[in-house]
Amino acid sequence: MNTNAIEIRGLIKKYSAFTLGPLNLTVPRGAIYGLIGPNGAGKTTIIDLIFGLGKNDAGRITVLGLDHRADEVALKQRAAYVSPDLNFQVWGRVGKAIHFVRDFFPDWDDAYCAELMQAFHLNASDKIATLSFGAKTKLSLLLALARRPEILILDEPTTGLDAISKQQVFSELLKAVEDGERTVLISSHGLSDIERFADHIGLLKSGNLLLEGRTDEIVDRFRLAEFFLADGTTLKHPLPAGLTLLRGNENRWLALLDQTSAAPLWLETQGAKNLTLTRLTLEDLFVALAKEKAAA
Amino acid sequence: MTPAPKPLLLGPISPAADGALYQQIVDRITREISEGRLLPGAALPSFRQLAEALLVSLITVKRAYEELEREGIIFRRQGLGTFVAEHGHARSREAKLAAAKELLRAGFREAAETGLKPAALAALAQEILQEQKNEHQRH
Repeated sequence: MNTNAIEIRGLIKKYSAFTLGPLNLTVPRGAIYGLIGPNGAGKTTIIDLIFGLGKNDAGRITVLGLDHRADEVALKQRAAYVSPDLNFQVWGRVGKAIHFVRDFFPDWDDAYCAELMQAFHLNASDKIATLSFGAKTKLSLLLALARRPEILILDEPTTGLDAISKQQVFSELLKAVEDGERTVLISSHGLSDIERFADHIGLLKSGNLLLEGRTDEIVDRFRLAEFFLADGTTLKHPLPAGLTLLRGNENRWLALLDQTSAAPLWLETQGAKNLTLTRLTLEDLFVALAKEKAAA
Repeated sequence: MTPAPKPLLLGPISPAADGALYQQIVDRITREISEGRLLPGAALPSFRQLAEALLVSLITVKRAYEELEREGIIFRRQGLGTFVAEHGHARSREAKLAAAKELLRAGFREAAETGLKPAALAALAQEILQEQKNEHQRH
């Protein structure tokens, strides 16, 4: 059995002002994967392409071993998408929305739906128009989860949620992936929540994936390095892979250092002294990596 | 009847704090055990329960438990769960002592960098011990 929930290979999508890719992206089965990037990085384009909205110019997308275009119907039965557009008002009340949606999906789980309603503090008689923003987000999540999808794709699910709601949502997502069979892909421009929740991340910028992998391994791999050079000396260019100078004055420098690269040894041969390494949060790392990409 | 186990209460962990998230969990649990709030044989929460409580990924909790297991502080029984080991208390004290030594070393290094000689360092250590003793008596 294929262990990857989503595989994207050589994906290209061209717009007049923006090109996505060529992009390779791998979401392992059972993961909570955070697709992170600023607005306009291409997150929504990727999700749209997965669900067959728009046609890619090159490359292929496989979801649960299914081709995203040839097996579109099967894919849509097994994958659910929660969009940030929360337009449920037409149904009037929560119960009516649930009743409407459940009939489309053969795997709809009534018991689970009831459990989710309790966890999210939603009632069938609640008027959708008067629900808070957070409650609407929870309703859209409930409508997707109760289908028991094998893949759940969430676009910016935690933006605008208070701390308690975030915890409720995260706790349900954890339960959903607990058996290792289901997969959650979260797209977000916010890093601090994702850094905690997601076991895998992909960092996206200007249509390209900067980095992808297990969150803990990525955070372990990079350090902020501070070091000193002898007066009047500079580092020899070109710099090795794995070293990005961030800023410096006179003989004191700050750099992003990939500890798995040859750069730490190289720095020593260049006479760098008093090297101190500091852990970076994912947010710092992203900013530094984005700088590296811009300089390249 | 055995009393119901008290829920495990760990301090907040944060990506902004020192150490990897999993390491922070290891440290918190080690402290709970070394201070006797978690006794040998006590059950630890499941991966999901702890991930939920701390708002961290399953991989992070899994890694923390693996680390604690390797140090002999906890053990896992397939299908039953994770428990504090018989010698977990002693082991966690060892781990705590090792951490304390490391902190002292770092402190002495820092002090030495200001130019203090070993004799002055020893006097400084004495002074700090005395301070703590005085503080302890006041409470």
